[in-house]
Amino acid sequence: MSELNSVHPDAAKLEGMQHTKQYDFRLPEDYYYKSGKGLTKEVVEKISYMKGEPEWMLKFRLRALEIAEKKGRPKWGPDLSGLNFDDIYFYVRPNEKQGTVDSWDEIPEEVRKTYQRLGVPEAEQRALAGVGAQYESEMVYHKLKEEWERLGVIFLDTDTGLKEYPELFKEYFATVIPPEDNYFAAVNSAVWSGGSFVYVPEGVEVAVPLQAYFLLNAQNIGQFERTLIIGAPGSKFHYIEGCTAPAYTSHSFHSGVIEIVCQEGSQVRYSTIQNWSHNVYNLVTQRALVHKDASMGWLDGNLGSKTTMKYPSCYLIEDGAHGEVLSIAFATDGQHQDAGSKMIHAAPHTTSSVVSKSISKGTGRASYRGLVQIHEGAEYARSNVECDALLLDEQARTDTYPYIEINEKSAHVGHEATVSKLDEEQIFYLQTRGLKEDEAMALIVRGFLDPVAKELPLEYAVELNRLIELEMEGSVG
Amino acid sequence: MAELTDNPAVAAPAVDALVASRGEPDWLAGERRAALKTFEATPWPGPRDELWRYTQLERFAVTGLDLVPGPRTEDVSERIERRIRDSDAEGVLVVKNGLPVRREARLREAGVVFTDLATALREHEDLVRQHLYTAVNAPMTKFTALNSALWTGGTFVYVPKDVEVELPLGTFTTADRGGLGAGRTLIVVDVNAKATFIDEFTSDPLPGRLFHDHATEIVLKDGAKLRYVSLQNWSREVAHVHKQRAFVGRDARLESLTVSLGGDAARVEIESELGGPGAESEMLGLYFADEGQHFNQYTVQHHSAPRAFSDVLFKGAVRDASTAVYSGIIVVDPGAQKTDAYQTNRNLLLDRDSEAVSIPQLEIAANDVKCSHGSTTGPVPDDQRFYLMSRGLRPEVAEHVLVTGFLHEVMSRVTLPKVAEYVERVVQAKLGVPGVREKL
Repeated sequence: MSELNSVHPDAAKLEGMQHTKQYDFRLPEDYYYKSGKGLTKEVVEKISYMKGEPEWMLKFRLRALEIAEKKGRPKWGPDLSGLNFDDIYFYVRPNEKQGTVDSWDEIPEEVRKTYQRLGVPEAEQRALAGVGAQYESEMVYHKLKEEWERLGVIFLDTDTGLKEYPELFKEYFATVIPPEDNYFAAVNSAVWSGGSFVYVPEGVEVAVPLQAYFLLNAQNIGQFERTLIIGAPGSKFHYIEGCTAPAYTSHSFHSGVIEIVCQEGSQVRYSTIQNWSHNVYNLVTQRALVHKDASMGWLDGNLGSKTTMKYPSCYLIEDGAHGEVLSIAFATDGQHQDAGSKMIHAAPHTTSSVVSKSISKGTGRASYRGLVQIHEGAEYARSNVECDALLLDEQARTDTYPYIEINEKSAHVGHEATVSKLDEEQIFYLQTRGLKEDEAMALIVRGFLDPVAKELPLEYAVELNRLIELEMEGSVG
Repeated sequence: MAELTDNPAVAAPAVDALVASRGEPDWLAGERRAALKTFEATPWPGPRDELWRYTQLERFAVTGLDLVPGPRTEDVSERIERRIRDSDAEGVLVVKNGLPVRREARLREAGVVFTDLATALREHEDLVRQHLYTAVNAPMTKFTALNSALWTGGTFVYVPKDVEVELPLGTFTTADRGGLGAGRTLIVVDVNAKATFIDEFTSDPLPGRLFHDHATEIVLKDGAKLRYVSLQNWSREVAHVHKQRAFVGRDARLESLTVSLGGDAARVEIESELGGPGAESEMLGLYFADEGQHFNQYTVQHHSAPRAFSDVLFKGAVRDASTAVYSGIIVVDPGAQKTDAYQTNRNLLLDRDSEAVSIPQLEIAANDVKCSHGSTTGPVPDDQRFYLMSRGLRPEVAEHVLVTGFLHEVMSRVTLPKVAEYVERVVQAKLGVPGVREKL
């Protein structure tokens, strides 16, 4: 969540700033190791070597690289022609020291200041059970509060997870999203670095969110975090992820893979509001395997980036599993937010719900791309999808592509979508009450997004509103 | 899937022979040859093409089929004779094995043209030339190119300015042999004119496989109104591909109904371009697939002008290991402000072996619009079934009451009583209601 700046004491000073200022925190580049540009076998081997990984992981990476080369980029969806791999650094290690620290004092001062500016350490003290911070390709900071550690909760960066819990790690890693799944998952599998490893033991309920925070600084960098989250039977927790990058003129690339296992009766929530700068290609694969009577909720906010392709999915594989996606997309000038959801019903009595809201402003384009699949034998499955799109400007675009495949007689599946413009009467009414036109518009947009915002913890809802205000600034005239 | 180029029925000599035998003008021969080139240059669609990913393409294979037209035989079975008599159409053209064999029309209105396309080319060449290949036009697909190169039979309807044709007109396309056939319907309704047309496709069981590729071109000039029905109830040896495209001008209105009941597999593409301010297009669809049938339907509501209205309602049911696919898209071009567009698809799944796919899509590039779409798929509601059974209905009777009730929402919007009656009877026969099949 880049925008912890909104809870920062200086937040008020942002008033009236150009929106690019959101990303105005670039640091001098000074790295321990930076790979050559391009995706090559040498880079993959070097990453694995520098991390001192077991042999099986190196083999996995190399196999994934072959799969990526064979698969090629998807032929559908947004234009990715501006993404040139030969111009991307696939691995950038910020410091010499291997692994993370658990005190902000040990973080290099420049990096620490950036996180402070974004308000991460403060939020950690006030509202979070644990925090991880990734800078470029590596996690630099990681801390879980003792009370949770005592209960057996594991919250580590993924590299450390692999070292400290090799058995547990190997059991689940790449089982939810194998490299064969799609091109970008294959690329991530080859060059992954950092991300979170979370395990919440049986019956443990983590009352406050765990958070990881991803920051890109170098120019032309790719960030490929790999997150593996396991909710043991009956566990309950909320994981939040945030990300940001400074505005460079050339393109950066973020392609995370997030795998979640929700074991019997667990309740897992994953929330992210991405606000990458407008030069980042954000192509993420996130999926949960949901077991008996378990419940998975994705909250997915897409505000930043140049192009996003992101379809959080739930594979409802056992009786009574439930999946939810709440998503918002805000596409402004030059942006294409291609977001959506996938709900695969592969067992009886499974239920799913998708609510997607999008706003297109200027020349922005927001697309909903979704799949609801009811397998034969998934008796009495129910799914409902709602998409609402709001168009703010004449050149704005919106698309809806919901795929609904039903193979089971007793299924009930519904999809509704509406597209509308900002209601002029509402704006007029608010103006008669003394609001300026842009304030009125921002208020209506916030109201439109409210059903999603109210599902967020308070700090994040405040932040979301703040972000919308920033995006709406200068929208009149 | 085998390439078609090894099929001599679809090669330059076959097209040349067709042109020669029909004595067609040079401009048309040129169009046919160009379409054949497009056909040859266009790859077969495959499961990786978004528009075809759910189509069972092997069921539309044309390899090894001989080209229809012919032989010319005028007689049709008693059953089809009865269909023609029982239809709403008062003016009737019969096309059999790709050749026009009969025309009965009592047209009182002056200047109305209703005839087969070959006759129209002789008698009204300018009118045909001006409109043919204009509504179903580039870019051609594999199947529209095939049709454009090979069509025979075919119907031409022209309704002059301000003329209202009271009686419905219709073409019965039928066959008694298998092969590869293509038919074309060209309907031009001039300024403020009005007409109703029924395109019906039907046959008794055939001795071999028939692949029928149809194209319907509709041109509605300013203020024109047309009701167009396409009713497909081929016998089970037939694969049917039908592209219907209408250009709807300023303040013009199209009401179309597409019914898919027969054949082994059918792919229908129904497109309206709302090309003038105030244009309206209502596209209704109804399908009922049983015994392993595959019905695939695709609608396009293309708003290229402001202040136009379009509405799609497609409803259908599947049973006995059948598949139904509905996909549709509302496209709103930049500048098509005040567009009002709706799209609804509803499916009933009657057993576990069947499958329904629904993809209602929107691509909106203007902001001052009202667009929505909805899709639902589910079983016959248990509580309704229970209610009817509690009133003494047997379960299978309760089911057919509910299925007909479900489809009624579409049929109730069709103002042609005999079409509605016939469709209902076919649905009842498919549901196994006793004593109905014999009456068809």
